Amino acid sequence: MRLAMLALVFLATAPAALAVDLAAIVRDHITPRYQALATTTALLEQQAKTACAPQNPPLTAAYHRAFDAWVGVSHLRFGPSEAEDRAFALAFWPDPRGATPKTLALLIRNSDPVVADPVAYKTVSVAARGFYALEFLLYDPQFAAPERPGYHCALIQAVTRDIAANAAAILDAWQDGYADLVSRPGNDLYRTEVEAAQQVFTALSTGLEFTSVTRLGRPLGTFARPRPNRAEARRSGRALHHVVLSLTATRELALHLAPGNARLIAAFGRALDRANALDDPVFAGVADPPGRLRVEVLQQSVDAIRQVLRQEVGPTLGITAGFNALDGD
Amino acid sequence: MVQRRAVLAGLCAAGLAPAQSWADAGDPAYLSAAMRPDGTAVLCGLNRLGARLFARPLPARGHAAAAHPTRPEAVAFARRPGTFALVVNCLDGTTKTRLALPRGHHFYGHGAFSGDGDLLFTTENAIETARGMIGVWDTRRGYRRVGAFSSGGIGPHDIQCLPDGQTLAVANGGIETHPETGRLKLNIPTMRPNLSYVAPDGGILEQVTLDAAYRKNSLRHLAIAGDGAVAFALQWQGDPGTHPPLLGFHRQGGRVRLAAAAPDTVRRLSGYVGSLAVSDVENAVAITSPRGGVVQIFGLADGGFRRQAALPDVCGVAGGPGGFLVTNGLGQTVQNPTAARAHVVEHAVQWDNHLVALRGRRAA
Repeated sequence: MRLAMLALVFLATAPAALAVDLAAIVRDHITPRYQALATTTALLEQQAKTACAPQNPPLTAAYHRAFDAWVGVSHLRFGPSEAEDRAFALAFWPDPRGATPKTLALLIRNSDPVVADPVAYKTVSVAARGFYALEFLLYDPQFAAPERPGYHCALIQAVTRDIAANAAAILDAWQDGYADLVSRPGNDLYRTEVEAAQQVFTALSTGLEFTSVTRLGRPLGTFARPRPNRAEARRSGRALHHVVLSLTATRELALHLAPGNARLIAAFGRALDRANALDDPVFAGVADPPGRLRVEVLQQSVDAIRQVLRQEVGPTLGITAGFNALDGD
Repeated sequence: MVQRRAVLAGLCAAGLAPAQSWADAGDPAYLSAAMRPDGTAVLCGLNRLGARLFARPLPARGHAAAAHPTRPEAVAFARRPGTFALVVNCLDGTTKTRLALPRGHHFYGHGAFSGDGDLLFTTENAIETARGMIGVWDTRRGYRRVGAFSSGGIGPHDIQCLPDGQTLAVANGGIETHPETGRLKLNIPTMRPNLSYVAPDGGILEQVTLDAAYRKNSLRHLAIAGDGAVAFALQWQGDPGTHPPLLGFHRQGGRVRLAAAAPDTVRRLSGYVGSLAVSDVENAVAITSPRGGVVQIFGLADGGFRRQAALPDVCGVAGGPGGFLVTNGLGQTVQNPTAARAHVVEHAVQWDNHLVALRGRRAA
């Protein structure tokens, strides 16, 4: 997921009192989720070391668990995830130019020795790093039946090692000070509780926008030209699953920002109900009108959450959205 | 024969069939795209106090405009990544022509005329390669496309012609986009914005980049002083917790200088400057941040912060004879926004990002 898709205006007149428990957000939402990412990616690295054949069940199971953990933090795009482009290196998607398969194919064609060196692998294009590159290596027909299994194995091991290192670095940075900066504002980074809460709100809003516009919008395409092949992580059957995971994670965060907000709870409930009832794991249904309508309705229900956030939650944090401020250009 | 033709042409221009000028359009001082309450888009002409002289329809939301230096016509550009650019007759609101983009290109929101008005240069994306391009259009032949060359970087946004009437300053914002993913930024980890000076034949004369620490500071908008000094405005794409300078200065052959302001002043911008303008009479540059809801004035000579004013959703700004005029998404035009008695005019539109001054820069 990419940064700053959504622009928000921070009013000069911030609210006097804030009912947001920032320490609880860090303790109960952010930290455990990054811990899960670090743990599952370490296991993924371990599995790839043990047996790296693409269709090896323990490896693919570890891949799914770790990818789940990533989607659960993919809305938290600030601070440690942005340092050293760690989040970009974990998740390079969408990829309209097909840079991921191109870069991977180039590494393989050249038997690039960069895979042997964990430090050097950090210099490889982010297109050939992270979960979406790993998905190609494990599931795409172009890669999953390799001519030279030895190199393919080394590449999978390099990618998983890099994923685990990035996840560990993000968790370390949170535990090594960033958590305190957010939990206890009044520092150079977050001078007030309102500033820290605004950062969290921006992350939440941007995460939901990404789910609507990109996770759902890309496969929807246009009515005349639906694009099922643009669904996220479709090769491993995860597109709808990502929508469910990200809605679940953003609901948890949203209810920290607006505890007990009935409209918010109802809006998330409707969206999750629709997602869970969809039975179209990679949005293949967008290609025909009835299936498309169901995905559109899901997208609308995500947009309904965004509207509640904008209208009811944003203003309590001194945030409003303007004509030019939203434009971003 | 050639001579005779030239004489005839001269006569035409002089009086036999008098060419129409901006005076015939009510002598507007500024142009801006806007959105009406019913959702339709227009290109408006404003007088020097911000009162509206005309409103001409646009097919979709506009971004910026370029005004022909002499003829009362303007090119209105689509919001990025758009494919329309309309040459609007500012006398009657008719569309004189529509720029015909070659397949595989889209506009990036801005354009600039050569000093004599014969050529129009537009910033574009070559979609397949993601290379920034400058399209060249001959205004004397119905805005026919006569060429294209590299912008010197990725994601060119603003383009301005220097006072020599020829050299182009191009803000290569560094951000790669693709029509398939709209405005999604595809290359933040590797982005490398620059300011390029380009000859009208496409030759790159000089390129300027910021220090590595500011690699994610997208150089997007330009304002040119009468003496050729370039002010540029930035949009920060790095960690939102950091607040680097968002205004810089350069002169061909010289070194980059970043604006000097206290950390609190920089924080007010929320990492984002939407537009900027130079006022030679005030020897100052104004930057606007719609996200921070603030307009800030800096000295042109020393790059030092002078003063600021809060104004919600402010973005459009231009230098005029009476000082700076700014516009916002609430429909206000505000003259001298940092003065004790700013002159405010309310309009029933939402002003889009850019306010374009029609007067020559030296008169500003």
